Amino acid sequence: MTAELMDRTIGELSVDLRSGTLSPVELIHAALDRIEKYDSKLKSFVFVSETALDQAKQAEREIRENNVRGPLHGIPIGVKDNYLTHDMPTTNGTKAPGIDYPNRDATVVKRLRDAGAVLIGKTRMHEFAWGTVTPPSCNPWNLDRVVGGSSGGSGAAVVAGLCTAALGSDTGGSIRIPSSICGAVGMKSTFGRVSRDGLLPHTWSLDVAGPLTKSVGDAALMLNVLAGYDPLDPASCNRRTDDYTQTMGQSVKGMRIGVCRNHFFPRTQEAVANAVNKAVQELAEEGMTVQDFELPNLEYGLGAIYAVELPSATAYHDMWMKAGKTPHYEPDVRMLVEVGRFVTGTDYLKGEQFRQLLIDDFRRVFEDVDVVIVPTTALTGWEHGAETLQIAGKTESVLAASWRLTYPFNLTGLPSVSVPCGFDPDGMPIGMQIVGRPFAESTILRVADAYERTHDWVSKRPPL
Amino acid sequence: MSKPDLDIFRDVLGVDLDPDRLQQNLEAFSDILSEIRKLRDLNLTDTHPVVVFDPTYGYSKEVRGDR
Repeated sequence: MTAELMDRTIGELSVDLRSGTLSPVELIHAALDRIEKYDSKLKSFVFVSETALDQAKQAEREIRENNVRGPLHGIPIGVKDNYLTHDMPTTNGTKAPGIDYPNRDATVVKRLRDAGAVLIGKTRMHEFAWGTVTPPSCNPWNLDRVVGGSSGGSGAAVVAGLCTAALGSDTGGSIRIPSSICGAVGMKSTFGRVSRDGLLPHTWSLDVAGPLTKSVGDAALMLNVLAGYDPLDPASCNRRTDDYTQTMGQSVKGMRIGVCRNHFFPRTQEAVANAVNKAVQELAEEGMTVQDFELPNLEYGLGAIYAVELPSATAYHDMWMKAGKTPHYEPDVRMLVEVGRFVTGTDYLKGEQFRQLLIDDFRRVFEDVDVVIVPTTALTGWEHGAETLQIAGKTESVLAASWRLTYPFNLTGLPSVSVPCGFDPDGMPIGMQIVGRPFAESTILRVADAYERTHDWVSKRPPL
Repeated sequence: MSKPDLDIFRDVLGVDLDPDRLQQNLEAFSDILSEIRKLRDLNLTDTHPVVVFDPTYGYSKEVRGDR
C-alpha cells in the first residue's frame, strides 16, 4: 500500500485527500516508511523533518473541518537543501565548518506551507549547487549511476516515491538535468516568475526556483502555488500568473514545433537523439507542425555561461575564501570557486552582452514556432566517478556534456520543462525539453501534457 | 612560478594561493579559458548587457522592512 500511495501523483492523491478517503497522516507514514526503507541506498535526503507528522495531523484536522487549502494540502514535498527553512537546518550541501544560514522560510517554502503541503525533509544537492553529480546520491534506476545535479536528491526522491514532489533550483540546468537523468518532470520557469527570496544564491542573474514532479499536471499544480511576484526578490516580475492547469488536456493541433538541429543533436548519445526525434514525430501526428532551425551563435554559449557563472559564484563565496573556508569545500567545487577570479570584468560583461544576442536569436525563432523541442541532456545517467565520457566518438568532460543542452535557456531566461521521453538500452531514463517564449509556461506545459498523455512514462517506477 | 608572477596574480586578480595550488587552478582553467576566448572575438559593441538595475528597488516598504 505504501508503494502504491507514493507512486501516485499530486492530482490523484489530492482527490482522495479532499474526499476523506485518504488521510494526510496515512500518506506521510507511507512516505516516511519509504525513506526508512530505501534512503540508505539512494541517499536522497540530508534531513528528515521532525515535524512532518505534526504537519500531516494539522492538515488532517483542517481537511476534516472542510478547510481545504488546495491540491497540495497534505502532500509530502521535499525541499532542496539550498532553500531556507525555519524548522529544518540548511547546509547548502556543504560540510565546510563555520558556514551557517538563517532559520527562516524562503518565500516559496512559505507558499508551500500556506498551501498546506507537508514539508517532509531537505533533499541532497551538489555542494553549493555547483555540479551535476550530487554525491553520494544514487540513481533509483541503477544504483551504480549518478542522479545528475545539482538537485539530484530531489530527482531521486520524487522518482523513487520518497516524496510526491520536491523543490529544486536551476542555474545552468540543475532542475532539468536530474529530472532527465532520474525520469522526473522538471520545470524551470521564466527567470523572474518564481521568487528566489531565501534560495541561497549561486549566480544572481541565472538562478531559477522550481519543482520536480512525477507528472506534467503536478508541475502545473506546483507552479500555481510557487509562481507570483515577490518584492523580496529583486528579479521577481510583477506580471499576471496563469492557472497553469487550464491548458492540461487541451489539443495541440495546429501548434508549431521548432527543433534546433545544431548544438543539441550532433554530440548527443544516439539513444537520446532517437527518443527525442520520435517524440517530435509523435507530436506531429497529433497535428503539430515541425520545422528545423539552427543558431550558430550557440557556439559561444559555453564561454558566456562560464564568464557569468564563475565570477558570480566567486563573488558570493569571496568572504569565505578570505576566511580560509574554501580548502574545506569538495575539490571540484573549490576549484570552480577559486578560478572565478581568473575571469576578467570585461569577460563577464561580454557574457552578459552575448546573452542579449542569444535572446534575440530565440525571439526570431519564436516568431515562427510556439515551442522549441530539444534533448535535456546529451547523455543518460553515467557511472559514479566518471570524469570524462565518450559521446559520439569524442571525449568530453562530464560537466561540459551534462549541462550543454540546458544552459542556453538559463542564458536566455526562457521557460523550459523537461519531460521523460523513453529509456536507453541500459534502462536509463531519457528527457526532452519543451521551451517557450518568456512567461509562456502554460504553452510548454500544454505540449508536455499532450505528449505525456499518449505515453505511460508516468506509471513507470524503478525496481528498488 | 616566480615571486613576481605570484605578485601579479595577488595584486591584479586578488588570487592569493600557494604556487602549486595556483598552477593546478590555471591548468583546470585552461579548458574554460578556451571557451571564453571565443567570446572575446565577438564584436558586441552595440549590444547592451542583459543585466540592468531598477533604481527604485530598495525604496519599497517590503524590501526596506527586510533589511
